[in-house]
Amino acid sequence: MAEGLGALLDPAAIRLAETAADREAAIRRCGEVLVSVGAVQPAYVDAMLEREKSVSTYVGEGVAIPHGTLAGKETVLRDALAVLRFPAGVDWGGDRPVRVCVAIAARGDGHVEVLGELAQILLDPDRAAALRAATDQDTVYDLLTPIEETA
Amino acid sequence: MPSRTVTVGSRTGLHARPAALFVAAAGSAPLPVKINVAGRKPVPANSMLSVLSLGAKCGTEVTITAEGDGADVVLDDLAALLARDLDAEEGGSDG
Repeated sequence: MAEGLGALLDPAAIRLAETAADREAAIRRCGEVLVSVGAVQPAYVDAMLEREKSVSTYVGEGVAIPHGTLAGKETVLRDALAVLRFPAGVDWGGDRPVRVCVAIAARGDGHVEVLGELAQILLDPDRAAALRAATDQDTVYDLLTPIEETA
Repeated sequence: MPSRTVTVGSRTGLHARPAALFVAAAGSAPLPVKINVAGRKPVPANSMLSVLSLGAKCGTEVTITAEGDGADVVLDDLAALLARDLDAEEGGSDG
């Protein structure tokens, strides 16, 4: 389970000091980062916006998980994640502003397990708070690749 | 306690849109509903994070439980929702 999230996260796809005027701008930034690390074609960004119009990807704990529609899968080059932190927050229409976007590019259904892992991390209020407050890449990496209990 | 075990019908699994629809339906039910996958403890069905944490894919068996007046009706409705391919019903652009 430990390899899941970390293996999909290119260090270049961790951006911790982003700003966005609104939800659409934030999603565009997420898409641009996925494009910049070679995970998706530019058309995937439109699929992400389409998905968000259909249903909010806000999951709670100040975290949203933007990703494309099924139709957008053809523009995914490889499974990948991007983590974008918006310290000033972005209004997502949820119970609180979004401070972290975990953007997802996925061809098959492997990302369901990835999302499961992410959700388990966010269900721990301490780790969710740490993710919202992370200011360096190593912290994000460590949070998303929990060390297996050896006991 | 009344329960239903059902196979997830949405092709991308129980996340994103299908999960959001299920969580909303569970949240509007008059009774608290829990959901679990085999071997894991039940979690609240009205919490997006809890439902996502199941990691349920298309074809995964999930069990929903509820107790109280009308539990059977609530569970029947939610089980039917889980069994449908909710991805197929999206705005016409998917598929």
